[in-house]
Amino acid sequence: MKTLAITFDLSLIDHYTLVIAIAGYCIVLAALAFIAYFFTRLHSLQDFLTKRRMVVQESISKEQKSKVVMTGEENAAIAAALFLFFSELHDEEKYVMTIRKVSKTYSPWSSKIYGIWNTMKHW
Amino acid sequence: MDTLQTLFSLWEDTGFHNASLGNLLMILVGIVLVFLAIRYSYKPLLLIPLGMGVILGNIPFLHEAAYHTGIYQEGSVLNYLFFGVLKGIYPALIFLGLGAMTDLSPLISNPKLMLLGAAAQVGIFATFLGAMVLGFPMAESAAIAIIGGADGNTAIFLTSQLASGFHGSETGLAMQNLIGPIAIAAYIYMSLVPVIQPPIMKLLTTKKERLIRMKPPRTVSKFEKILFPLFGLLLSAFVAPASLPLLGMFFFGNILKESGLTKQLATTASTILIDIVLILIGLTVGASTQADVFLKWESILIFVLGAIAFMIATAGGVVFAKVMNLFLKKENRINPLVGAAGVAAVPDSAKIAHEMGLKEDPTNHLIGHAMAPNIAGLIGSAITAGLLLGFLL
Repeated sequence: MKTLAITFDLSLIDHYTLVIAIAGYCIVLAALAFIAYFFTRLHSLQDFLTKRRMVVQESISKEQKSKVVMTGEENAAIAAALFLFFSELHDEEKYVMTIRKVSKTYSPWSSKIYGIWNTMKHW
Repeated sequence: MDTLQTLFSLWEDTGFHNASLGNLLMILVGIVLVFLAIRYSYKPLLLIPLGMGVILGNIPFLHEAAYHTGIYQEGSVLNYLFFGVLKGIYPALIFLGLGAMTDLSPLISNPKLMLLGAAAQVGIFATFLGAMVLGFPMAESAAIAIIGGADGNTAIFLTSQLASGFHGSETGLAMQNLIGPIAIAAYIYMSLVPVIQPPIMKLLTTKKERLIRMKPPRTVSKFEKILFPLFGLLLSAFVAPASLPLLGMFFFGNILKESGLTKQLATTASTILIDIVLILIGLTVGASTQADVFLKWESILIFVLGAIAFMIATAGGVVFAKVMNLFLKKENRINPLVGAAGVAAVPDSAKIAHEMGLKEDPTNHLIGHAMAPNIAGLIGSAITAGLLLGFLL
């Protein structure tokens, strides 16, 4: 192992070294500050655009609402159609359709082939 | 006679014959690193490969032997693996994986926290001047100072370019090979974040400041998440082109993640690839600490300067947060503990800020906020490395 030879010489920091240290730090700070500024502005811009889009959509829907003009006859016709449709319904009606399969077991007592009327026809 | 000579040459070939006190000391250091990792879970993913590498690199062997074993012997297996460190390949691949696993939302949701990551870089530049005063050449001073960035990969990348023993200095002097001491110092300080940072954070903040509650982060749109890596890449590449191998890969990895269309690539980069590279970088950096290269007085100085850089960086982040609070509205104030996360030890320093915040107020969760300066610190230290390379090469 070599012997320790620690120097402490402030004159070793020359002009160029100072420029590297100060300029380097300022550049890093500025670069990250610029990214931060850009994304802060970007968010504000996005907010602004979203709000504007919402305002435009609201105004469009208001315009559409105001454009819908219905006459009394039309209203009456719709109301009558609805009344007739709903009054035809039963009070309680299930909207679910089911098909139940009913199976009957065969029994000679209920047989139509061997029924008494079939036998009488042959007489 | 021949038999005796064969036996003697066999003995000469063994580690027992070639062992030096330095080798044994370094093997002990390797064992301690492995012990710390296993017993106390200090960064086991880093310290186990590193510790095993230190042991591997210090197994004594006959330097004149026909076969090549040592990491500095051309043609040996370790020498080939070390190529990835010397050429800065492994750090770049690790940055790719980091990008693919990092969620930049905390940073985008509160961009002003980025300044804390930039502020913490003061540790690097202050230590650069300090190393110069102590007589280190400029390139070596820059490589030592980057330890203050608290990111081992950036430190290895910069050292491989400036002080790997292959470059000349501005005065015509050959640079020393400082990869081993600088990488070990950076990794050790990264694992010692819970020991180094809290006293500084406590010293520089009042209880009232530590209790500050920050505004919850807003949700971030997919558009912003995709725009950030593109914008960040372009800006950093234009400001410091030499940082491209690190930040180019970082933002590329992040695009893989955020695009949502290359999930398998992002998963591979952030899991399998980064694991493989971690094994290789840990092992080879560890093995580069061969006793004759590592055991120098300069290594001790590097450890001391690295610790100072780390402490200044922590203090820089905390103080800058306090200064920012002077200009911010009450509802936008920053908890200064978050400033300490400006050093790039991801995510350890953010966790420390969170834990310290919880100690003061168990309902004040700072992790979401602390991740922002933490990632900014990573980006900032890579830009700093690029700038230093630009200045010095």
